[in-house]
Amino acid sequence: MIELKNLIGGYGNMTVLNGVSFKIEPATITTIIGPNGAGKSTVFKAIFGLLKVQSGQVLLNGEDVTRSTPAQMLAKGVSYVPQGRNIIPQLSVYHNLEIGGITLKDQSTLSVRIEKVMDRFPILREKQNQQAIVLSGGQQKQLEIARALLLDPKLMLVDEPSIGLSPQLVRETFQSLTGLRDQGVTILMVEQNAKSALALSDFGVVLELGKVRMHEEASSLLNDPRVGQLFLGGAIDGK
Amino acid sequence: MGEFFQLLVSGLATGSIYALAAVGFTLLWQASQTINFAQGEFVMLPAFFVLIGTQVLGLNLILGLLFALVVSLLLLGLVFKRLIIDPMLPHGVLPIVISTIALGILLRDSVKEFYSAEAQPFPAIFSERTLSVFGAVISLQDIAILITSLTTITVLQLFLTRTRTGRCMQATAQNRGVAEILGVNVNRMILYTFLINAGLALMASVLISPIYLAKFSNGESIGLIAFIAAIVGGFNQVRGALAGGLLIGVVDNMSAAYISAEYRTAFPLMLLIIIILVRPQGLFGTAEERSV
Repeated sequence: MIELKNLIGGYGNMTVLNGVSFKIEPATITTIIGPNGAGKSTVFKAIFGLLKVQSGQVLLNGEDVTRSTPAQMLAKGVSYVPQGRNIIPQLSVYHNLEIGGITLKDQSTLSVRIEKVMDRFPILREKQNQQAIVLSGGQQKQLEIARALLLDPKLMLVDEPSIGLSPQLVRETFQSLTGLRDQGVTILMVEQNAKSALALSDFGVVLELGKVRMHEEASSLLNDPRVGQLFLGGAIDGK
Repeated sequence: MGEFFQLLVSGLATGSIYALAAVGFTLLWQASQTINFAQGEFVMLPAFFVLIGTQVLGLNLILGLLFALVVSLLLLGLVFKRLIIDPMLPHGVLPIVISTIALGILLRDSVKEFYSAEAQPFPAIFSERTLSVFGAVISLQDIAILITSLTTITVLQLFLTRTRTGRCMQATAQNRGVAEILGVNVNRMILYTFLINAGLALMASVLISPIYLAKFSNGESIGLIAFIAAIVGGFNQVRGALAGGLLIGVVDNMSAAYISAEYRTAFPLMLLIIIILVRPQGLFGTAEERSV
């Protein structure tokens, strides 16, 4: 589905990714874990065209999409749900969704698509005419995921979906992600809540200092004592 | 009572012109954190584009206005954004403030140097007849100015809220990062804002110049008043800028007539001080949070 080849990049002159390589199979969930500053979110920004890639390649189904703009990535079926709150506060819920479909080639399908995602997230239908700012944190996250789904993405980049959500809402959010995977969507996720994220993932990537240290089946990462150690502040090699 | 009504209408008329400039001011701020201290000169200049069209190029008034529209959109919209704002924006608000102050001086002195230091008569767009209503002498021109400005701002507000492009502009202003990841052409939306500001400046210029004549120094007071109006109304709201403009127009007129003509320019400033003390986000504004 997507392959990163020796990706090097960062912000301005600061390099954060020091040669990231991994390959993700279609219709799987892969969680990227790693300590703060490992470059987890930066990987997403590099894939999505939001920062300067110095060298390396991003391949989407074999096609070189390195340095594509966000609009081009959306057109190729990739959508991105960043960390934190990503709503347009003073527009209505409906218009937030509408802007999610702004890159659609065939705008006549937009209203049907909006109806479809509102069926999936009934709370959004209920609040469609209210300003997005009045939604609770969990509802805002639902709005963001719904907005990303509008374009029927093949690949979703989801950054820290659980942040700031109650355990119940985290479960619901994770459930919708597995539901999407079962429908054939590939999901690449960054998550601090590593245990629960790995529990629902097919694969896990451990990122450290801008490099991939491990890339294995999620279940084996979960049981790997080195991973536990890493999250307790140690390094993989125990140095 | 007649006099009061008369002052009210003419205050609202001038105020609605200030509102045009103030609305442009707030739009630029929202879209690209540009505080345009040359806004007054932006209102002063298009009148001279019209005069160049009609007097130098020999066009009739309609063509002269069209000429001024094209030149305004190009110079005050496109070139202003590309040449001054785009290179300065990454360096923060202060360099933009300094450059727009410099631009204001450049525009003012260029008009003085290359066109004329004298106030130029400017053709009235509307009838200058007056009307007597309940003992008040109301100028038709004032009514027409008020209607034109209010219609323009209403149409603009409808554009921003009821059209998809308008909503994309709002999205860009409210959360640029998100607009970008959703595929909104953020740069184009910002350019639209600059073009709209140029259009508003032209309109204000054409409405105000028949009253105050076209003069190189007109921008000083207009720019200051538009700035005050935007702050009084609320810097981040179109309707705030509208209310601020109208309020300042009326306060200015009333205080000159009933309190002191000599201190006329001081009253809007006093209003500004009171608002900043009592309600710093402005009458309609919302407090802004900004992360660094």
